[in-house]
Amino acid sequence: MGGPIASLHPLSRADGSASYKCPATGSNVLGSVNAPIELPGRRDALKPEDATIEVFVKPGTAPGGVGERHIEGILRGALGRIILGREKGYPRRGVVITLAVVGCDNIARGSSYLPILPALLHTSILALLSASVPLSMTFSATVLAVDSSGEIVCEPSSTDAAAAASLHVLAFTSQGHLLLNESEGRFDFDTWERVYERALAICHGTSALGSDGDVAMSENVDAQPLEGFVRDTVEDHIHREYAWKIDAA
Amino acid sequence: MSSPLILLPGDEVPTDYLPSNGSAPLRLGPGLRLLSEAHPTPASTSKHVLTATQAGILSTDNKRNAISILSSSNRRYVPTPNDLVIAQVHHSSVDYFYCMITPQSPHAVLGQLSFEGATKKTRPMLQGGDLVYARVLSTGLGAGAEVEIACVNPATGKSEPGGLGPLKGGMVFDISTGFAARLIRASSAPSEQQEVAGLVVLDELGKKLEKVGGFEIAVGRNGKVWVDCSNSEDNAVRATVAIGRCLTAIDEHNLNPTDQRKLVTRILREMKIES
Repeated sequence: MGGPIASLHPLSRADGSASYKCPATGSNVLGSVNAPIELPGRRDALKPEDATIEVFVKPGTAPGGVGERHIEGILRGALGRIILGREKGYPRRGVVITLAVVGCDNIARGSSYLPILPALLHTSILALLSASVPLSMTFSATVLAVDSSGEIVCEPSSTDAAAAASLHVLAFTSQGHLLLNESEGRFDFDTWERVYERALAICHGTSALGSDGDVAMSENVDAQPLEGFVRDTVEDHIHREYAWKIDAA
Repeated sequence: MSSPLILLPGDEVPTDYLPSNGSAPLRLGPGLRLLSEAHPTPASTSKHVLTATQAGILSTDNKRNAISILSSSNRRYVPTPNDLVIAQVHHSSVDYFYCMITPQSPHAVLGQLSFEGATKKTRPMLQGGDLVYARVLSTGLGAGAEVEIACVNPATGKSEPGGLGPLKGGMVFDISTGFAARLIRASSAPSEQQEVAGLVVLDELGKKLEKVGGFEIAVGRNGKVWVDCSNSEDNAVRATVAIGRCLTAIDEHNLNPTDQRKLVTRILREMKIES
């Protein structure tokens, strides 16, 4: 199983954009961010001193439906917590995030969006970083499936996700706090605790806060922590862009 | 300073990277904010930490005791006082020209009399679509405020830095905002240290186009560059397009100085401008 592949700024006309491909879940998402822009008729929004965040999720082949509206709400809630909408130039303006699901194993109309939610979250954070939207911190997210025997499957494929008893998406900020938790299916508190420990290890590695068990260490040897992946992608991009400055120094 | 430091939002600025000029207060540039420490330790002397809000390279200026983040170069332009911009007049009223700095933002206002030597009798008659090279005077306070630009220093009545005012003829090319900032730094630096922003393109073009009459250039922080070669008569259009192509190609491909020289030679040859 290979790690995710991401690139920053594939689109030249958007203020910020990112593409993200996760081979394990088979999701491929292209995202763009335009900010700060004038939103027509929104100058007297409910929070006039804050930026308005709009998220659009476009499925690759079908028109959007209720599932997309639901996931847009989840994304808006999570991203609204880390975007600093009161920085200079942002109040009363809009931060518009458009996410196109380019490829995906099969999300049929009306089926669960949770398997590709981490890909959508990663695409949007990378696009926001490339658009230089002020953020309080970054985050990383992962999806875990628990099958009927209580076994945890990381980044499940579409068949695994369909067979799972419960699905969990967890996102952790770069400080190691839980930012988002979406779960569906039947599970108990103990299962959730195990899922939480495992997800924290995947996102932050074993040195993260609160991971004290040896279990997590032995389980997570296959890939680098996702937090590091986001950081490396952005650092690579900045290194390339500022090569003239770094070479001179 | 040691190796350049890349910060992501939420990262704290290490104290040994701060400029050590103790006399002046520290100035925070874009991309940084001051937070009070979440878990103050008795050992630490200050109760505040500097954290980044944008991903980018930490840049410090020891002379001005300033610190800021250089972020992605394709970002959208946000007007800041004292920036030089190329604006396009949209329409005019009795007192103001309404200008576009970026197509999406609301119009910036430019006083009818904010030009060098302008009086009620003699003032530039600008039509919709005309270009002006102007300085951002103020960005207003709070949300939804108007941006005001001017082609004159209100204190002295002169157009300073020189060159502000209507731009006649020539052509405008779009570049990224980061590249525009680099061009401004490179052209404002003394000529012996043109390498300051890793750009030799303007020097090189200047040398090669000297024979055909040279060129005029104005760079706006809003990601616009205006080029005019009206002195070169027959070659005017070709030289203008060649300069524009050089600048956009260097911006797009992030070329280093050697490649910039090669590109200039190649494009001038392709455009059949003998140098």
